[in-house]
Amino acid sequence: MGALSIGWKTRSRVTGWLLGALTIGFLLYQWLPVFTLALLSFSGPTGGTTFPMNGVSLHWYRELWDASIMSDFKPPLLRSVMLAAACSLTTCILAVMAAQAMRGRFRGHNAFFYLLLLGIMAPGLLVGFGFALLARILEIEPAWNTTGFIVHVTWTLPFGFMTMLAIFNRFDSRLEEAALTLGATRIITFRRITLPIVLPGVLGAALFGFSLSYDEFPRSMFTTGADMTLPLAVMAQLDRQLTPELYAIGTATTLTSLLAILGCVAGLALLRRTQRLTTKGT
Amino acid sequence: MSSIRPGSAAAYWLAVPAGLWMFGAVVMPALLIVWVSLWGGRGFSTASPLTFENYIRFFSNPTYLNLIATTLRHAAMLMAITGVLGYCIAYFLVVKLKSARWRTALFLAFIIPFWTSALIRAIAWIPFLGVNGVINQGLMGLGVIDRPIEVFLFSRTGISMAQVSLYTLMASGPVVYMLSQIPMALREAAMTLKAPPGVVFWRIIFPLTLPGVVIGQVLVFLSVMADFATVQWIGGNKIALLPNLVMNFYEGAQLRGAAVVAVVLMLCMLVGVGLAMRVADIRRLGR
Repeated sequence: MGALSIGWKTRSRVTGWLLGALTIGFLLYQWLPVFTLALLSFSGPTGGTTFPMNGVSLHWYRELWDASIMSDFKPPLLRSVMLAAACSLTTCILAVMAAQAMRGRFRGHNAFFYLLLLGIMAPGLLVGFGFALLARILEIEPAWNTTGFIVHVTWTLPFGFMTMLAIFNRFDSRLEEAALTLGATRIITFRRITLPIVLPGVLGAALFGFSLSYDEFPRSMFTTGADMTLPLAVMAQLDRQLTPELYAIGTATTLTSLLAILGCVAGLALLRRTQRLTTKGT
Repeated sequence: MSSIRPGSAAAYWLAVPAGLWMFGAVVMPALLIVWVSLWGGRGFSTASPLTFENYIRFFSNPTYLNLIATTLRHAAMLMAITGVLGYCIAYFLVVKLKSARWRTALFLAFIIPFWTSALIRAIAWIPFLGVNGVINQGLMGLGVIDRPIEVFLFSRTGISMAQVSLYTLMASGPVVYMLSQIPMALREAAMTLKAPPGVVFWRIIFPLTLPGVVIGQVLVFLSVMADFATVQWIGGNKIALLPNLVMNFYEGAQLRGAAVVAVVLMLCMLVGVGLAMRVADIRRLGR
């Protein structure tokens, strides 16, 4: 028995090491291409899209900045940011409404839940293509700020909704009860008690909305029309020619997303702090 | 008691805008695709007669039938790779790793790339896989090969390599969730009753994580079946799977053809999700 259990322990430790090596290996596998991309974006003016780098410079970032008409990424960038901001705001409002509705357990709330979940499960290719057909039948000209916007929200809203559901799951509704008992109306309770407490979560939903719309590609493909968003412009450039300029824009975009995540993490930390304060208060 | 009264009209009206939005922009378009796929005639008009002609034309072409088989095989292969890899990673992170700080650090290391654009991550594989790419140069440097191998870029190998890095997290995430729900006392109890570790894993741990495995596989399946972008950029224009066919027909202004392929894709997905629901009750995941 003793010898056997030592055998198990060693085996368990060996399995642990093997799985650990696999995990680290996969992490490297996932990160190395991104690092390579970032590194190559700093190559010299004669540098190509593979190693060797041929010097170190900010040449490709400068190219990106004073771009030619053919590959000017600034208007698409502006469109993408504006679209993402609009999606973010819409996601916030609709997600809070929808999550609050779920708390009200209205008739058909289960079907409603699955309907919103469908936005995550349904592939962008099919949603985009289907909506392009709808626009065609209704004779609407596709544009990034009309059809594109509507379709983007179907992608960002479910994530915001899930975030809000998770937030409301941990919500201490005794606080609302107290307000209601003291004679506040439900609307005032929502505005003065509920909303301030869940606000960090709303921030999370907003960031979800922003970053998901900002990167969205398959849905945009069918519904943005002639004025492209950033991912589409990157694709179009890739179609013509692959240059380190694309690596530069890839690196810049990745950094932007990183900042958004940091914002999210900060938002969640804030949420935890607020909750600690509220539990202390009760 | 909360700021909304259960079963009230207010709850219903709060749900209406989001519900209508999703219905109008997700459900309606899907139904529309099915309708358009049945249109006969030549023009794009709602007055078109309904026939199965488009389907007959599609299914009588052996190239397209092969493409369906190839796509399903490709998806199955990716599900197997990401499933095993994802489970191993999840098991290590939740069960084997004891330090909470390391766990958080590794979690973040996994999640951060997931948040950056999939397009950029797909492009990042190009300098890696090419003839002069990092992999070839590395292998040559190690003396494993003496001239570059061309199989990586513009091949299914390259596509699979990129997709594994894109989708393993999807297979892993739900397993992480299910594993962390299992009370460790359960394992200890089985061990005390002298069950060998392998038996504990197969008879206790694995069945409890099965819903997580299944939903991870569903996510990978749905993503791979619809991923035309990675295939297009890593595979060049030499390789196409079913979703690329939708794009090709669409760009060639053959909307009815595109609709037929889209319906075939949808059916594959519905069958896949249906099968998954039979294996494990996914709805248990949220409870």
